[in-house]
Amino acid sequence: MPITETPAQILDCKGLQCPLPVIKTAQAIKTLDPGQVLELLATDPGVEPDMKAWSSRTGNELLAIDREGDVFHVFLRRQG
Amino acid sequence: MWTDEGEGKVLYVQTHGVTDPGRCATPFFLAASAAAMEVEVAIYFTMYGPTLLQKDVVDKIGPKGDVGQPLSYFIKQATDLGVRLLVCQPSLELNDLALDDLIDGVVMIGGAAFNDMAMNADAVVSF
Repeated sequence: MPITETPAQILDCKGLQCPLPVIKTAQAIKTLDPGQVLELLATDPGVEPDMKAWSSRTGNELLAIDREGDVFHVFLRRQG
Repeated sequence: MWTDEGEGKVLYVQTHGVTDPGRCATPFFLAASAAAMEVEVAIYFTMYGPTLLQKDVVDKIGPKGDVGQPLSYFIKQATDLGVRLLVCQPSLELNDLALDDLIDGVVMIGGAAFNDMAMNADAVVSF
């Protein structure tokens, strides 16, 4: 599903290993307003199951995960 | 000991100490991940576990020895997210430690409090 919204913030976690992408995402999304979109960039191969679990637990919406080479682009909407 | 403010509760138990550095950091990784999921988290250090929390040790050991971050980095990552660190008196005595030998913020509990926390947790994970 293509994401047409411009993310309010891009969080670059490329090269960081578990659990840092999750931790930094949790911290970053709190700085957004409800409804705004965060784009996470990560290379950790566990990021897809991790962000699915994280979003279902926290209620923040996982809009899409796109893979571009080694980089995962994860789009999350802050719950409002 | 639980505040019930989170979306669930996980209690980790760390029994390994400074003699097994490869087992020192993972409970902190998992605890930090859980805290990032808005789960309430505590780590209970028992048996040799309290040796990991010594003020003069946390900067000197790490999961891969001299490679990578020291244990203090992973501890701070967890506690900054609200993870609580708990010890019990008999485990301190087993390792000839006092609460003052440990990093700030460690809370003393006893066996009854531990069991109560375990029974009220959604999951207890023991290492």
